[in-house]
Amino acid sequence: MTTPATTTPTAGPAAVRPRPVGRGRVIIAYRWEITKLVAQARTRATLAVCLIAPFVFVVLLDRQDRLPKDTLYGRWVHASGFATPLLILGFAAQWVFPLLTSIVAGDIFASEDQHGTWKTILTRSHSRSQIFWAKSLAAATFAVLVVTVLALSCLTAGVLLVGHQPLEGLSGTLLPPGRTAGLVLAAWATALPPLLGFTALGIMLSVLTRSSPAGIVGPIILGLLMQLYAFLNGADTIRHLLLVTPFDAWHGLFAAHPYYGPLRDGTFVSVAYIVICLAVAFTALRRRDITGG
Amino acid sequence: MVDGVPAVEAVGLVKRFGGLTAVDHVDLRVDVGEVYGILGPNGAGKTTFLRMLFGLIRPDAGTLRVFGRTWAEAGPAMLDGVAGFIESPRFYPYLSGRRNLELLAGLDGGDADSRIDQVLDVVDLAGRAGDKVGGYSFGMRQRLGVAASLLRDPRLLVLDEPANGLDPAGIRDMRALVTRLAGSGLTVLLSSHNMDEVEEICDNVTIMRTGRVVYHGSIDQLRAQAPDPSHRLATSDDEQAMRLSAEHPAVSVTAHHDGGLALRAQTADADGYLIALGRAGVAVRALHLEIAPLESLFFMLTETDPATGSAPAGLPRQPRDLTGATP
Repeated sequence: MTTPATTTPTAGPAAVRPRPVGRGRVIIAYRWEITKLVAQARTRATLAVCLIAPFVFVVLLDRQDRLPKDTLYGRWVHASGFATPLLILGFAAQWVFPLLTSIVAGDIFASEDQHGTWKTILTRSHSRSQIFWAKSLAAATFAVLVVTVLALSCLTAGVLLVGHQPLEGLSGTLLPPGRTAGLVLAAWATALPPLLGFTALGIMLSVLTRSSPAGIVGPIILGLLMQLYAFLNGADTIRHLLLVTPFDAWHGLFAAHPYYGPLRDGTFVSVAYIVICLAVAFTALRRRDITGG
Repeated sequence: MVDGVPAVEAVGLVKRFGGLTAVDHVDLRVDVGEVYGILGPNGAGKTTFLRMLFGLIRPDAGTLRVFGRTWAEAGPAMLDGVAGFIESPRFYPYLSGRRNLELLAGLDGGDADSRIDQVLDVVDLAGRAGDKVGGYSFGMRQRLGVAASLLRDPRLLVLDEPANGLDPAGIRDMRALVTRLAGSGLTVLLSSHNMDEVEEICDNVTIMRTGRVVYHGSIDQLRAQAPDPSHRLATSDDEQAMRLSAEHPAVSVTAHHDGGLALRAQTADADGYLIALGRAGVAVRALHLEIAPLESLFFMLTETDPATGSAPAGLPRQPRDLTGATP
């Protein structure tokens, strides 16, 4: 080791350039959370799968005679390329969306416990609140990005490999290609509120359990349990309060007379999940003693 | 910084984990420019104290000020001018050493990023800075921890057992680095369970045992209180050697439990006794230091009597202020 000539104490922190405060610090921490996500093979692999899988799916469907007729728009997958993204959207709502978002959200806090790095980042100049919001924002960014990539990939795969034929709406009327493309993207956009609800759920489990597996698997299991309850035709009020119900809100867009009630209700439910889960996670992180690592 | 404000001041600090009191009414004061050691066996409460200093855990009672600021008053700003690491420093294994430092410099803000090359040179990691930290040895991570601390251009450097887990060469290099940093005027707060390390580096020391302070004062004052060094002695005629010890009242010679003799005496008295042995025709076949004086005192202060679960009778149970200064 060499002589630490550069480390001779100076006039102290006041002598250096002013440091950002408040939201400025959140943005700095957010930028570094994004950098960490980009450096992780898992996040890159997830995005790559979202980009490639729809093309593989369409090719495989194209080679088989039997169609998934029991699924919404399953019987249309050979007739119109616009059916592909809607078929995948219906399928993804069951467990793929919770998985895709919790890969990051369920790990982003627990990984600091796993690596023992809470003490590394919390002994710098950022507060727990700033780190919390930076991480939550990064998890939400990933969730939006991964759904955007999947939506565009599904639409592109369908249109390129099957074609841009008109698609039949849920009321039986044919929708022209231009309008259908817009509706498909809008349908995928309606998945964002419940998806962010699952993101918040993953964040909460990540903070509370301090375990990446629990943070990642937990939202998937909870999502499947909610699906199971919906299949059982239980109390309708409870069904409306489930986080998986808003994933079906896009059906209203494809009716001859579009209806938006489920979309509005689903957004309220999703926001409630987001607020409650983030409040619990925020309080837990602020109060906990960092004793590990 | 206000003149006279200590770098660290703890008053009546308490931290409990369930039924366990990890830090029990600890008073401690580290003045600016001091090299201060917190010494104690594992479980003494040293790391818990340092975690409170960094705001990682909150005290249940008492106050802890760093450069006059408490966590409740200043939040993370309390750590302005403070750097260091708790236990072994930890980094993101999938990022390179340099990338980890860039991340931390980004969180620090200011001009920390401009010091990355310099601090990598200081800890001799410039050549491996591009490698992922997952491939670093323990010693390299320890040195990267020091580099990460120096990025903050600290006035107070807090190191928790910096030589822990290092090989002998690593320990030597780490001690030399800490000594050089201390020589540059930095205030250093060092925790260790190694008496030699603290004796070599520190001016003042607090010794903790089961969460409580059992001693604090200067190393020189501690040395003055230390018992005589203990040697193991092998001679050609142990019986005659025991008889001759009666003529040297400053020397204690007893049978050693593993054979041979146990010799307790200050160096000058031991020299006189050993010369007398030679003159009496008793050959000294082996003499080696078993317990250094300060190490011996450390054991006396920190070891628990297995029968009572407390410090052995006759040893201090309460904090002692040998300096006369208010802690």
